[in-house]
Amino acid sequence: MANTVIGSTIVIDGEITGDEDLVVQGTVKGRVGLRQNIYVEESGILEANVETATITILGTVTGDVVASERAELKSNCRVVGDIHAPRILIADGASFKGNVDMDG
Amino acid sequence: MARQSQSTPADPATLIGPGIHVRGRVTGEEDLHIEGRLEGSIELTETVFVAPEGIVIATVQARDVVVSGVVVGNVTAEDSVTLNAGAKLVGDVTAPRVIVADGASFSGNVAMGGEPPPPRKRKNAARRAAPAKPAAKAVAKPAAKAAAKPAAKKAAKKAPAKKAPARVAAIPTPRAAKRDDDDTIVVKHAAVESASKKTSKKKTSKKAPPRARVPKPGKRRVGRR
Amino acid sequence: MASSNSRGTSPTSSACVIGPQTAVRGSLSGEEDLVIEGRVEGSVSLAGHLVVADSGEVEADLEIESIAVHGQVRGDITATRSITIERGAQVSGNVKAPRVIINDGAHFDGAVEMDVDLPEELRKAAR
Repeated sequence: MANTVIGSTIVIDGEITGDEDLVVQGTVKGRVGLRQNIYVEESGILEANVETATITILGTVTGDVVASERAELKSNCRVVGDIHAPRILIADGASFKGNVDMDG
Repeated sequence: MARQSQSTPADPATLIGPGIHVRGRVTGEEDLHIEGRLEGSIELTETVFVAPEGIVIATVQARDVVVSGVVVGNVTAEDSVTLNAGAKLVGDVTAPRVIVADGASFSGNVAMGGEPPPPRKRKNAARRAAPAKPAAKAVAKPAAKAAAKPAAKKAAKKAPAKKAPARVAAIPTPRAAKRDDDDTIVVKHAAVESASKKTSKKKTSKKAPPRARVPKPGKRRVGRR
Repeated sequence: MASSNSRGTSPTSSACVIGPQTAVRGSLSGEEDLVIEGRVEGSVSLAGHLVVADSGEVEADLEIESIAVHGQVRGDITATRSITIERGAQVSGNVKAPRVIINDGAHFDGAVEMDVDLPEELRKAAR
């Protein structure tokens, strides 16, 4: 898989943009703007405002998320921020604090 | 072509893919493969690989740096910097081991450390400049001089770049600096000294074997052109 | 000796050799390949391939077509073709050539100047 992977010891402080899937195992602070899918894995920490097509969160996200297709909060994830997406899935065991907006 | 086997990401821990653009500071303790574009800075305890299609505009610090793509910025490695065929690097390189393969293109200073640059040539320059005392200082510190002068805007603009010869920004600067006729005459003086090779060569050979210390590469560049 | 390097115009059997017991002081110019096994101080201007052998010590500015350094060079090197700094070599000075090769195990301090063909947008960044 030729995904972009931010490994668990990596910290990026800044901005990630592009047209490719992104797997976050480490820490990303700042802003993420992608047209594809983001996976925040268990060890992943996203302290950023996020714009993407879909996002799947198993780790920690602090910041507002705008997904044009879908946002999925898996069990044991921790999310603080507003989520804007046409489809939002929040699993049992997910911790979430913020507003949900599913309007277009 | 000619990529080192280790530069081929088998299952890279961290990969900036070709469609990705990262702007900012990247730190970490694992290998980093860059196939996309990264602007800012990298600080890593492991190896940075810049793939052939990768573009890095950043100050890079790592244990090892292997470049097959493009890097604009200063590169410092604890162990080695390798420029593979096809690599393009503009910036200064500091590492105990620096390897430049055939087919790589590179412009900048190399500092491998170890023994200090051997004595050479500088003696002449110093002797020449000696009559004008403040001038001699200017040879040593063209930046300070230029900055201090309430000179034309032109000079003022250039001063910041000159101040840090180690920076990328300074690399092309010398070219501009040499036209700075009205600025520091002595800089020009020094330039003449080392640029007009024939004169300086004769001097070198006639006078006692040159023994003075060599100016730092960066500074010599400034003076030379 | 270490004239095995075949880069550029490789030293032919007729190459001029400055032997290990010979020191040259002054300016040296020529139009054939040269092997320096001894010591040269001053300047070298050569339309050919220069080999500085393991035992060679050069304290001079060099203007040559191509060069392979195995020994020591202190001085600026300008080559119209290529500069190769071999393993075990010690070079300090500024080098300028279309092709510069620095092998692992070489010691080099100075500036390298090659033409770097950067994309337009990056050229700005490099300034």
